[in-house]
Amino acid sequence: MNKIGTEKIISIYWFVILFIVAAAIVYMTASFYGKPYDTRQIEVELLSDKAADCISYAGFLREGVLTQGFNDNFLETCDINFGAEDSYGWTDESEYFLQINFYDFDSYQDASQNSLFEVSAGNQKLKDFCQLKGKSFPICLERRFYTLDKDGEKYIVKINSAVKKIEKNSQ
Amino acid sequence: MKKIRKRGNILTKNIIFIVLNLAFLTILLLFLFSKTGSAAVLEEKYTKQIAFMVDAAEPGMIIHLNMEDAIEKAVKEGINPSNIVSINGNVITVKLSGKGSNPKSSYSFFNDVKVDANFDTLNKKEYYFVISEK
Repeated sequence: MNKIGTEKIISIYWFVILFIVAAAIVYMTASFYGKPYDTRQIEVELLSDKAADCISYAGFLREGVLTQGFNDNFLETCDINFGAEDSYGWTDESEYFLQINFYDFDSYQDASQNSLFEVSAGNQKLKDFCQLKGKSFPICLERRFYTLDKDGEKYIVKINSAVKKIEKNSQ
Repeated sequence: MKKIRKRGNILTKNIIFIVLNLAFLTILLLFLFSKTGSAAVLEEKYTKQIAFMVDAAEPGMIIHLNMEDAIEKAVKEGINPSNIVSINGNVITVKLSGKGSNPKSSYSFFNDVKVDANFDTLNKKEYYFVISEK
């Protein structure tokens, strides 16, 4: 047997394998760190929490929530600013959507029935994409909770929130 | 005499082989570390972290954030640590490198509050954010 010849071949194969492994690691690392962190799930939860804190405190509806004035000045009253940075055309259309529906607790069956009162703000178009799943669609969140007003009337509050910001999270 | 020379050749070959392998692995590890701790990755990480911290904050809060790795990186790149974090309206920008502009280095927050970002000059590892009403 030609031992030196065999060793050379093994050595060449060894380096070929090393280069393949290295190329795979470089590719995976570059593609992983080249993509942004998708943090929209955290953001949409924070938005939903902010809206819930604004309309209810300690289990009771805040004063003036079920009025037209609250709907008209919803963002200002709740200290929410839907403005975004001037990149990817984000200033043309809002990257956020928020909708709050109030239902009577006793007659509530499901969210498809008409609500007693509705408040919404942001980009309405985002709501249409909430049924779709995928990286190029907004992240949506639906939350419900039970609350009382000062007269003891019971309500179910449903909060739908959505965050788009696709370019900085999932491209 | 011949036998001794042959053994010497084998040893040299083995040493070259091991040295090449080590050099190869070192380059690979250096690449991995440079990627994981790169300015662009840290800029994105801290921009989003600060934005969500502000979103969850209430007026009256002072939030301290340890940014040691980012501050070290910025100093190496010749950036003044006091200029790493800037806030314009509701947009946070973290800048750790003088090279070009990274679109991922800025992110907006929806909480309509006033935020002041300050470099902690005492321990030189942290930034603290003062949240107040607009």
